Amino acid sequence: MSAVSVTERDRTDGSGNRPQGISVSTNTAPAAVVAADVETAIRVEGLSKRFGKAGPVVLDNINLTIKPGEFVCLLGASGCGKSTLLNIIAGLEHPSEGTVTVASGKSAVMFQESALFPWLTASRNVELALKLRGVPRGRRRGEALELLDLVNLADAANKRPHELSGGMRQRVALARSLAQDRKVLLMDEPFAALDAITRDLLHEELERVWHETGRTIVFVTHNVREAARLGQRVLLMSSRPGRIRNEWRIEDNGPRRIESPEVSRLSIEITNHLREEIRRNAA
Amino acid sequence: MPPETRSETITPGSLEPDAASGSSVSTRADFRTLEAGLDALQTSPLVEKGPWRRFADGVLPPVVLLLALIAAWQFYIVIAKPRPDLTPGPLDVLTSITDLWSTGHLQTAVVTSLSRGGIGFLIAVAIGTPLGLLLAEWRLLRRALGPLLSGLQVLPSVAWVPAAILWFGLSDATVYFVVLMGAVPSIANGLVAGVDQIPPQLRRVGTVLGANRFEMATLVVLPAAMPGYLAGLKQGWAFSWRSLMAAEIIAVGGSIGFGLGSMLQQSRELADLPGVLATILVILFVGILVELVLFAPAERRLLRRRGLYLTAGR
Repeated sequence: MSAVSVTERDRTDGSGNRPQGISVSTNTAPAAVVAADVETAIRVEGLSKRFGKAGPVVLDNINLTIKPGEFVCLLGASGCGKSTLLNIIAGLEHPSEGTVTVASGKSAVMFQESALFPWLTASRNVELALKLRGVPRGRRRGEALELLDLVNLADAANKRPHELSGGMRQRVALARSLAQDRKVLLMDEPFAALDAITRDLLHEELERVWHETGRTIVFVTHNVREAARLGQRVLLMSSRPGRIRNEWRIEDNGPRRIESPEVSRLSIEITNHLREEIRRNAA
Repeated sequence: MPPETRSETITPGSLEPDAASGSSVSTRADFRTLEAGLDALQTSPLVEKGPWRRFADGVLPPVVLLLALIAAWQFYIVIAKPRPDLTPGPLDVLTSITDLWSTGHLQTAVVTSLSRGGIGFLIAVAIGTPLGLLLAEWRLLRRALGPLLSGLQVLPSVAWVPAAILWFGLSDATVYFVVLMGAVPSIANGLVAGVDQIPPQLRRVGTVLGANRFEMATLVVLPAAMPGYLAGLKQGWAFSWRSLMAAEIIAVGGSIGFGLGSMLQQSRELADLPGVLATILVILFVGILVELVLFAPAERRLLRRRGLYLTAGR
């Protein structure tokens, strides 16, 4: 009675060593070509990135299609270009080659540091996002409080960022990105700087917010368990140059927890692949 | 295996039912209390100091030191009995201040100097702020003008007095010119430093939130640069006040009114050392007063709101 069933798609040659205990089906067809035009939130085609003309290739021929409402985790070791890929999707950096199409236009972004404006209260930080979105003045306060309530922070509305804990700041940042009201939410290691207890709670929080708001989420992390805990799809990236190596689809038919045996099993499998990728860089 | 340790023996099979029940959804209310509990654990309420404590910490030490210095001065006069025309005692200086007050000279001088310093400072703010923003955001201009502005900040603005007298004669324009040359570079450089210290992440958030150039400047860059800007304003005021005194000492007469600098110069010409010392003390006192009444509270408020203000002893 597993709550999670996993489908692995090997992006390279399908010769990964798989541990026992997880039902895996390999699918060699390119990702979601069928009906891609109807149901695509983000499409990345032939994307490459190098910094400077003679610089190293950071991202190499990335092809990726993400459906509306999907929760996708981009996983990789340091220097695999996962944050760069996210920044390119966000429009903060430009690709050297290839195209990125976000169907709903611009996307909301959340960073590792909450990057709240320190001179504004929690509520004002959210209100600023509403203001820049064009929400009329009279409606901003109410909407900001609703968003803060969504992340259980209505009581902290008048506190300034320095009065909040790291986890609370990230929740305000989450509320602020939701205030942008964009269908796509890009998250760059948003919980990496938090302690394990807080992170565990925020996983549950994010999962609930995702279910309630139906956002398309691209979540960058170097934490295998986090990816296995949260994602519907986990994309494993290789480093130097960054390529998408493997993909796991996790059928979500029940609540997951970071302690769940299914999550552990998947984590072990993903970790083995990740180590394989890291070994390639030796010598 | 003893029966009492059985409960501690964990096998994957034995965990299966527990794990299933444990992974049941915690209700929304449960989660709320859980999160509220963690929030309470991770934040500690700030303890505000009471008014008496603030007075004892902030006002008492300098006042006590000042009284001690005056006492030491008086003690020296009584013990060493120096020539009264070269070393007047605190009482002589106090008499001089009351004399100046009763003739009305002191009030005129303070009002004249303070209003000139204030107006000059406000003009300097009006020029220095846009200049600083331009320098901070326009790299080419900064490369071209930056060194010159830093040089002007180092150049004592008194050096401009002779030139200003030749250009503008003995008029208020001379005084204002010297004040501006002193204050504008400080204010502009302070703002540039403030903008440079903005964490790049805040600008990226501005971009992500969809701010245009104007919104970025007014809603993100200016507020974020406030600590550096305020430091620049403080220094700008100090330079204004100093330059003003220098200008008033050198340029006396013409249509230039009677300021504190003029009073200082007049006392020197009369060889009135108590008068000179009295004027110096008044100039010092005005400077301290402006700092305490205007800049210190503004700075404290600004830094406290951002969590940058650490009170001593914490």
